Amino acid sequence: MAVTLPEGDLNSRLENYLDGFRNRHGLEEAEVDGNVVRLVVKPEVLLAVLATAKERLRILHLSFITVVDRVGSFELTYELLDLRGGQVRVKTTVEGEEPVIDTVTEIYPTANWHEREAYDMFGIAFKGHPDLRRLYMWQDHFDHHPLLKSFEISTKRTFEGLR
Amino acid sequence: MLSEERSKDIETDALSAPAAGRLANPDVRDEFGLETLDMSMGPQHPAMHGLLRLILELDGETVVRCDPVMGYLHRSKEKISENRMYPAVIPITDRIDYMNNMAMEYGYCLAVESLMDVEIPPRADAIRALMNEFSRIMSHIPSIGFLLLELGAFTPILYAFRERERIQTIMEAVTGARMMFHYIRIGGVKADLPEGMPEEMWKYIEGLEERLEPDFVDLIAGNEIFVARTRGVGKMTQEKAVEMGLTGVPLRCTGVEFDVRKHYPYGWYKNLDFDVVTDEAGDVEASYRCRIGEVKQSIRMIKQILENLPEGEVMGDTGRRIRPDEGDGFGRVESARGEYAVHIVSDGTDTPYRVHYRTPCTVNMQLLQEIVPGHYLPDIMPIMGLIDPVSGAWDK
Repeated sequence: MAVTLPEGDLNSRLENYLDGFRNRHGLEEAEVDGNVVRLVVKPEVLLAVLATAKERLRILHLSFITVVDRVGSFELTYELLDLRGGQVRVKTTVEGEEPVIDTVTEIYPTANWHEREAYDMFGIAFKGHPDLRRLYMWQDHFDHHPLLKSFEISTKRTFEGLR
Repeated sequence: MLSEERSKDIETDALSAPAAGRLANPDVRDEFGLETLDMSMGPQHPAMHGLLRLILELDGETVVRCDPVMGYLHRSKEKISENRMYPAVIPITDRIDYMNNMAMEYGYCLAVESLMDVEIPPRADAIRALMNEFSRIMSHIPSIGFLLLELGAFTPILYAFRERERIQTIMEAVTGARMMFHYIRIGGVKADLPEGMPEEMWKYIEGLEERLEPDFVDLIAGNEIFVARTRGVGKMTQEKAVEMGLTGVPLRCTGVEFDVRKHYPYGWYKNLDFDVVTDEAGDVEASYRCRIGEVKQSIRMIKQILENLPEGEVMGDTGRRIRPDEGDGFGRVESARGEYAVHIVSDGTDTPYRVHYRTPCTVNMQLLQEIVPGHYLPDIMPIMGLIDPVSGAWDK
């Protein structure tokens, strides 16, 4: 029972990934930059794009999910590695103060805790997640999502005017 | 599974009980109408690595369910990083994985540098790799010691800390600190190696090479108790390991060859010749063998770096005020525990807009939910030794 990892020339493999995504999905942006395939997609097709990555292109490793609070919308970055030099970076933006997005745990089980962390820190609801609890903060009596820009800390500093 | 040769090497009675026989049969519980017991293990537990709470459901002495509860050492590194100037974040990253601080600094600096137009001098690159490998040895050897300590062997931890002390002395001479180094800076490293230091390092590394086999292999590998407690414990397949997103030793001990230093090379590692250490078995014993193998590879790398240490500056020109371009910066390094990645979002000001640390421990810990059920309660600690988590790293 061995896992097969991709072989061969990196550049042709990246082109292959790019074509694979382009032919199947409507992408807003798609390009190869260095050893990274950069994709920008709408949240509705995110699940389909990641399913293509895992099932068809055999990109097996989900490295991390980064959420960025853009005040009013949230930017999610899914970083995938094929473990042999190639990377796929999928970006999507969800609007609204209380955003909802589909979970990717069905495709990448490792996303379980990444999504729990994102829920904990930003309050993003992942639809269909098997176990959406807070990861770090208290389960009860704590109604905040600390990494939101609206969560202010008492020692906020500015560096304006500093030379 | 173990190769036949390996099995023949160590023939003990302990091996006659196959690991599969240890697994619980869930039907038994229903037949006798027995109840399971809920138990909380930690966060203050003498054997636990740091502050982790495990909610366990026990059927006799067999674990049925394991639910890790984290956050007891959460210090909100990501929020703090958003409120500091770029260079001031480096000491914060030091405290994420306090057993392997160099890699934490390195990943962050790589991420910032990817957004800047700065050339790292070759000597700085070489010193970064050199210190990283020392840091890896400093983390791997005590982790072997801790694993053995949890199995009841006291000697290896003393030997391990002897080595750690000696490396810490070297680190102190180079960086000025014994643990929280703050040595790797954006654009290079803080200071050049002190005079005579390469010779000192060479002397130490040769000594370690001599001591490694007798102190950490001969004393441990064939020990009957060690084999009985680790072989077949925490066993997982390659598919499972990849599916769970494991990296580092837990992934490599199943036989998947993946190392960030090799497959996503950065800095001076492009110039180094080393092997990715893998093992077939995918259990706790295999992870121990992998760690020993990695220490040997680190020794090999340190020798290569010291032989060809380039001359010149150790700090690139970053300008007086560090203000990376707008955009996303990424840094990815192989820490002692696996793939450590930093994602920085810059808005062109003095402070990062968002910093995300992908710590290997957090991801590797998901494994506990998956593989602990079916094992005996005392097997949890060896499995923790396989993952080798650090409290600061999984909680951030």
